[in-house]
Amino acid sequence: MPSGLKYFLTRLGGALITMLVGTVVVFFVMKAAPGDPALVVLGDFATPETIARFNAERGLDAPLLVQYFDWLGGILRFDFGQSLSVSSGADIGELLAFRLPNTIFIGLYAMSIAVVLALILGTLAAVNRGNFIDTGATSLAVLGVSMPDFWFGYMLILGLSIGLGLFPSYGFIPASESIVGALHSGFLPALAIAAPMAAVFTRTLRTSLIENLDREHVTVAKSLGHSGRFRFVHHVFRNSVIPFIVVIGLQIRYLLGGVVIIERIFGVNGVGSLMVEAAFARDYFVVQACAVMFLAIVLGVNYVVDLICAALDPRRAR
Amino acid sequence: MTKPSNISHKVSRRAILKSGAAATTLAMLPLWAGRAEAACGTLRAGITGYNVINTLDPAQTTLIPESYVVWGVFNCLLKFDESMNIVPDLAESYESVSPTILRFKLREGVKFHDGVEMTSADVKFTLDRLRDDATASPHQSKFAPISEIRTPDAYTVEIETAEPFAPMLSYLTNTRTGSQIVPMHLLKDGTPDDFATNPVGTGPFKLTEYQPGASLTLAKHTEYFEDGLPMVDIVEIPLIAEESAGVTALLGGSIDLTSTAPFADIPDLENDDRVQVLKAPGTNTRFISVNNAVAPFDDVHFRRAVSMAFDRQAMVDVVLFGEGRTANGVVPNSISWAATQDAPAETMMNPEEALKELALSKYGAGTEATVLTWGSGWWKRFAEVFVLQVNQVLGVNFTVEVSDSGTVYQRKQAGDFQASIWGWLGLIDPDEYAYEIYHTNGSRNYEKYSNPQVDALLEEARRILDLGPRGELYRQAEALAIKDCPVLPCFESNVHNLLAPKVQGFVQRPYSGFGAQLAEVKDC
Repeated sequence: MPSGLKYFLTRLGGALITMLVGTVVVFFVMKAAPGDPALVVLGDFATPETIARFNAERGLDAPLLVQYFDWLGGILRFDFGQSLSVSSGADIGELLAFRLPNTIFIGLYAMSIAVVLALILGTLAAVNRGNFIDTGATSLAVLGVSMPDFWFGYMLILGLSIGLGLFPSYGFIPASESIVGALHSGFLPALAIAAPMAAVFTRTLRTSLIENLDREHVTVAKSLGHSGRFRFVHHVFRNSVIPFIVVIGLQIRYLLGGVVIIERIFGVNGVGSLMVEAAFARDYFVVQACAVMFLAIVLGVNYVVDLICAALDPRRAR
Repeated sequence: MTKPSNISHKVSRRAILKSGAAATTLAMLPLWAGRAEAACGTLRAGITGYNVINTLDPAQTTLIPESYVVWGVFNCLLKFDESMNIVPDLAESYESVSPTILRFKLREGVKFHDGVEMTSADVKFTLDRLRDDATASPHQSKFAPISEIRTPDAYTVEIETAEPFAPMLSYLTNTRTGSQIVPMHLLKDGTPDDFATNPVGTGPFKLTEYQPGASLTLAKHTEYFEDGLPMVDIVEIPLIAEESAGVTALLGGSIDLTSTAPFADIPDLENDDRVQVLKAPGTNTRFISVNNAVAPFDDVHFRRAVSMAFDRQAMVDVVLFGEGRTANGVVPNSISWAATQDAPAETMMNPEEALKELALSKYGAGTEATVLTWGSGWWKRFAEVFVLQVNQVLGVNFTVEVSDSGTVYQRKQAGDFQASIWGWLGLIDPDEYAYEIYHTNGSRNYEKYSNPQVDALLEEARRILDLGPRGELYRQAEALAIKDCPVLPCFESNVHNLLAPKVQGFVQRPYSGFGAQLAEVKDC
């Protein structure tokens, strides 16, 4: 078996095992949480009899292991089951089908904003190393990392929405209805999620650009009379991109963490806000479905990042 | 005017599109700084503070936001006006034929959303369905007193109870009792699975879209029986879980109207010309529930000592930011004909008397007890303010235990608690407060209180239809019960709605009503 293929297969196996362990953790953590979906649904009218009937109808009175394997069997068939208490009886697959595109849109939007900001700020900082432009860009990055995303989100609403009326303060138009509407209404939430990521990207890019600017082959290229721009693009930038892509992969988990909070603040009907609502309503099945989906996304992205890095630098796959 | 559209999930879509159309690209945005506005014809009425809706079948509703939508989609025989008087709805008149028989004359020509006429058969079917074990309605027990429902003709309904039962009239009004009239022709062979999310009623609005946890869209019922109503064609209802996000959405022009507002923001918002604040005393009660069956609250002197050891006005100021009033008993003051008018001595802060009562009790300073509460908002503060004051005045050692509301509820039902904060909201009849909390067999009597004299008065109050003497019986029952301090009444909170400046015609209801009165909104 070629070493490259072996590398990919072992990585894939590892991801699948992580996935399985993840399902166990998610399932039992939810069960260990206090509260009960029956009480959420029945509200003021819960009695021991109505609670027992609710649980029996939904198989929540079976032994835990039986419940787990029932659920896992469903997941493997892409059947996430039915909501318990967010929208009793609704098909979770349908809930996700409506919400996932919104989360993906906001996530990619945030990622694009973060990458563009980082390319500009990181490059500016690296080529102006040590002067006031570098200091300014670096300070911005420190600020971005230090600000809690929810606080920044509220500040954006206060300034750009309520203050200036440039953006809506609440609600999101799905891209399927209007791309312009989605870009407009999704800008503030995407920016709030992007800020801390942009900061991390900027610092990574700056560091690796500076590292490569000082490398011997760049000095050699300079002595050969290559122009500054040519040297930067061909000898410095290309080599600096790998750590940048690795960091993007690592940031996915923070991206999803941001999505959960920010979607709720801005009223984006995505998987993140669904997960928060379901957690409050003790809707085990919905939280589990969202968590498994997030886990799959993180593992999938990291896997793809590995592939890209291996393609850029074949030594990594050995 | 905008056309009804069947595209899903478009919360504030028009608002943003209208504003966004001016800015086709983000780059052009700085050129444009208009405030988002809804085209009139579409009202964006946010349900704030809640976002879980499990069913819109009136027989199954348990949650406040479910009622918000049900009230707009269905009608009952009767409804409450803004002064809490019972007025006609589907019944144009009613009479009490005898102490046990109520006769209703129905409006003629009322149409369900599918065009079928509503008749006495639907009314009988609705109430029989609620009483049927197979329906398993959480409201079943409310209609258990009914012995027979007769329909002499298509527009007459007679409801007979085995005993005189005064609360029945309240139960047949448009509140949280599940008695909204449902269509027999769709449900007679069993309720279809989709009725819960695709309801058909006679109300001013029909449901056109529902995105769980996200939004609902209602459209005008063109054959609605009240002339000229509803005035708006479309109602978009985003479900906004955070009350504060509702304020933000309103200030930012993304919605026109909210169902509630956070107490803390009211003083500021009242001075803000970007928003109309509507407020009124609410039909609700909040109290400290104490378990009369376990130490230390099994001693009446100790309960009295605690009850006189804290200042309820301080609670109103700190917990509600002044948005409410102190409670004289468990029957809310807004049910004025039955509520206790003057604060009983047992509900007034009086450190000297409190210490005297403590000396008479078998417990003393240093007594420990746990007060259950939940969440992080005002419910938690409620418990903290109570414990702080009582510990200071009596030298006892109460502590707050924070859990989640479902767990607290379960522990209360199981009797596994010493004390907890508690409250009831949106119940209409004094019986739902006084009988259910004080009576030995009351369904909300988690305190395990039992007093035969009080029971007798409450049972008598159920048999008298005339409000004057009936209200007097509740006052007598409360006066007796409050001496025993089975619960410690604290305060009643105001109800609030926030409206954009242009919105006209929305009339508040003290029972936290929302939905039905959207039909009267003129400008949005």
